[in-house]
Amino acid sequence: MSDPKIEGYVFKPGFKGMAEDTGSDQTIFKGVHWGKAMMWIFLLSDTFIFSCFLISYMKGRGSTLVDWPNPSEVFALHVGGVDVPLLLIAIMTFVLITSSGTMALAVKYGYEKNRKMCGWLILATALGGLTFVGMQAFEWTKLIHEGVRPWENPFGAKQFGSFFFMITGFHGTHVSIGVIFLSIYAYKTFKGHYDEEKRGWFTTIKGNYVEIEILGLYWHFVDLVWVFIFAFFYLW
Amino acid sequence: MSEDFKDNKTIQAQSSETISGGGSGKAPDMDHVRPAEVPEQDLYHGHSFISKWVFCQDAKVIGVQYFILATFTGIIGLILSWLMRLQLGFPELASFMTAEHYYQFVTMHGMIMVVYFLTALFLGGFGNFLIPLMVGARDMVFPYLNMVSFWMFFIAVGVLLASFFVPGGPTGSGWTLYPPQSILEGTPGSGMGILLMCISLILFVAGFTMGGLNYLITVLQARTRGMTLMRMPLTVWGIFTATVLAMLAFPALLVGSIMMILDNILGTSFFMPTILQAGEVLEYGGGSPILFQHLFWFFGHPEVYIVALPAFGIISDLISVHSRKNIFGYRMMVWAIVVIGALSFFVWAHHMYVSGMNPWFGFFFATTTLIIAVPTAMKVYNWVLTLWRGNIRLNVVMLWCLGFIVTFVNGGITGIFLGNVIVDVPLSDTYFVIAHFHMVMGIAPLMVIMGAVYHWFPLVSGRLLSEKLGKWHFWLTFLGAYSIYFPMHYLGFIGVPRRYFEMYDSPYMTSAVGMNEFISTAAFIVGAAQFILIYNIIKSLKTGKPAGKNPWQANSLEWLTPSVPPEHGNWGDRLPIVHRWPYDYNVPGAKEDFITQTTPPSEVANTEVEKT
Amino acid sequence: MSETKKQEQTTTHKIGIYLWIWGLLFVLSFCSYMVDWLQYQGLLRWSLILIFMFLKAGLIMAFFMHLFWERYALVNVLLWPMTAIACFIFLMVAEFEYTVFTRLFYFVVGG
Repeated sequence: MSDPKIEGYVFKPGFKGMAEDTGSDQTIFKGVHWGKAMMWIFLLSDTFIFSCFLISYMKGRGSTLVDWPNPSEVFALHVGGVDVPLLLIAIMTFVLITSSGTMALAVKYGYEKNRKMCGWLILATALGGLTFVGMQAFEWTKLIHEGVRPWENPFGAKQFGSFFFMITGFHGTHVSIGVIFLSIYAYKTFKGHYDEEKRGWFTTIKGNYVEIEILGLYWHFVDLVWVFIFAFFYLW
Repeated sequence: MSEDFKDNKTIQAQSSETISGGGSGKAPDMDHVRPAEVPEQDLYHGHSFISKWVFCQDAKVIGVQYFILATFTGIIGLILSWLMRLQLGFPELASFMTAEHYYQFVTMHGMIMVVYFLTALFLGGFGNFLIPLMVGARDMVFPYLNMVSFWMFFIAVGVLLASFFVPGGPTGSGWTLYPPQSILEGTPGSGMGILLMCISLILFVAGFTMGGLNYLITVLQARTRGMTLMRMPLTVWGIFTATVLAMLAFPALLVGSIMMILDNILGTSFFMPTILQAGEVLEYGGGSPILFQHLFWFFGHPEVYIVALPAFGIISDLISVHSRKNIFGYRMMVWAIVVIGALSFFVWAHHMYVSGMNPWFGFFFATTTLIIAVPTAMKVYNWVLTLWRGNIRLNVVMLWCLGFIVTFVNGGITGIFLGNVIVDVPLSDTYFVIAHFHMVMGIAPLMVIMGAVYHWFPLVSGRLLSEKLGKWHFWLTFLGAYSIYFPMHYLGFIGVPRRYFEMYDSPYMTSAVGMNEFISTAAFIVGAAQFILIYNIIKSLKTGKPAGKNPWQANSLEWLTPSVPPEHGNWGDRLPIVHRWPYDYNVPGAKEDFITQTTPPSEVANTEVEKT
Repeated sequence: MSETKKQEQTTTHKIGIYLWIWGLLFVLSFCSYMVDWLQYQGLLRWSLILIFMFLKAGLIMAFFMHLFWERYALVNVLLWPMTAIACFIFLMVAEFEYTVFTRLFYFVVGG
């Protein structure tokens, strides 16, 4: 993964290396699979989407004359007679970070051609994602019960509900799509599709363990977005 | 399925090989090119009609599909413009048209032309056809995704056109779709119309993200041996940079559309302040209309460069080939494209000087806007300097190039007017703005499209278009377009507002009646003249003069394929090997006035060719 | 054939590094949570939230997403576009401050 072997090319480090790579023929990202480059550019675009959502949220929250609801109170869970602020969110963060960790390990074992470990770790990641979505759904239900709607809420500024449901909804959708792909990739891993380089059903491109790394990038992105949402929406 | 795939041959590094058949004996060291980094891609070959012509994964077919659909949509936009000009020039003939209809035509004309015609044509049409050929690849890197991207565009167009038929009709809010009006009664299409428009835009963005990934990764990672970034034709640079802009700017449009949909159907208040509608207080409150404007123009300004940059790139290549001269200052042209692309993200609120945004923003955005004019002007100087003392072939393609330079300079200068806040204040929302953006985004890029069609038609079809019909097409379009838009500058100066249904009764407006009639007449003629090209294409496909290989004697790779039109896989058995940039024209000492990109250095050792 | 396979094999890292980063991420998340538990307010709250957020994001991008080991070309292509986002953020801060000002001025003070 670090400085791949390419015949006839001398790798230089740092910015000199970047200049060499950019000026060379054929590729700019040396040794990077097309699918991996594609996923990175797609994630760059998706970053802009979530950035626009969060910037809009910042602008909306910043210009309201009506008080913004206090997140510690709104998102608190009543456990054992005590109001624990942000408990559910803390658990969700824990689950998602754990799933990110299992994914990184899955990628490692995939490249080492350890099919069983890779497959189980992908499933563990999927399980983490599913748990996250379940908890998010629980949180939505709880808030809807308390009267929070996209168009208004009893706690403060109207836009609180709108931004909350929209941003967490988009994030949750990304997580759900990830869970679906993780399940498919776990199946393909256990079946040995990546070892035998079986052609994809839709794309007819030959299978390869790099696909697990590509999916891993997507999954880490989903975790990354959660880091920002957690900081800006729940903590701020 | 395995018989659908070419064998995955590892290309051995025979550095003296060219596609003309390989050197004899030992290869000279000067011809050495680095071996291939990755094995060749294997392509899926369809066998049924559906998989060869409908759900085809060949980028060239997809490019033609985009071209046809974008042109079809563009013709609808053209008809809408005729309806608008009919109302403005000869209102007594347009009594069937209400003000609501007029605003709907204005909106749909704008959205169709900017997004569904120009963007789709340059990126989807030209991008798909030319990028793999010009970088020496067999196809785009993700052919299946590419195929899906076209059908997403198809569905997006379908949803857009469906908005004509829903209750309330299409949205009449202007192509800028500003809330709160766009979702309030009183604006046509404020129910289903705006909803379908936003859905269509979301689908469009999804499709062009898929396409954009293809164009970017193909240019960055799938070039052939010897093809460095600085040996790529400027066409590729223009389309590539435009695609980067698309990937980063479309998100803002997506987010704005999503929030607009939610405001419309769920009653959220992202953009909606506390507001009255026909005397009734609505449930909205606390929202910010200017947030939409910022999101829209954060997309909107890069969008106009998404249209302009491919035009810049293509015109550089057309001028170079048809004046038999290297593009003047190639490296600076590349840097100018990149810098314009980067700066385009920092100028958006020059569309918002009179919006009521933070007043200090005018300082920032006027500064950045005037800065972005510098690399743009530099490109114009370089085009002119390319023509200077060139061996100019005054054929139809060159006529379109010259027309482009004239109209682009005109439109660019009026842009400088509008880029300054104090000058923009009286000119904003007048016909001056309409004149500016039609010149710089409508006429100039259209000239490029026409020139590009006449230039690359021989490659796509194997035949030449008729020069005679082409000259009629050019002169009617060029002179006609000037007749339409030049008077509009004057109309703008005297204060005639844009997006007005009628020229109401007031001294300065009534003074413009004659001019409006003139403009409308010109518009009908120019619009009709475009059908000359369509007739030319259809006729030449059957009876046009056969072009043979490389009729323009150009250098770039797309003209060097083994068969014309290029077959699936583009290059036959062997990928090309590139030794130089595509601008070696009229090199002193060379046998002919052009040296193709694949000509090895040993063959031109006694010429004064530069090392590129 | 076996030679190409060997060339394709990418070098992987020891499991330890992933566990270390994992642990660091938990520590940082816990610290972020404590900012709220301890009810810090104002500038202290916001700066701590941002610091922990950027640290966590940086760790995920550098180690889980592997950017620490990628060549500079990829890293720079991904990071420089963030300047456009930063510009957008700064301007929108100014914009919401202006919006609040106009709302207070016209609706509260009376214009």
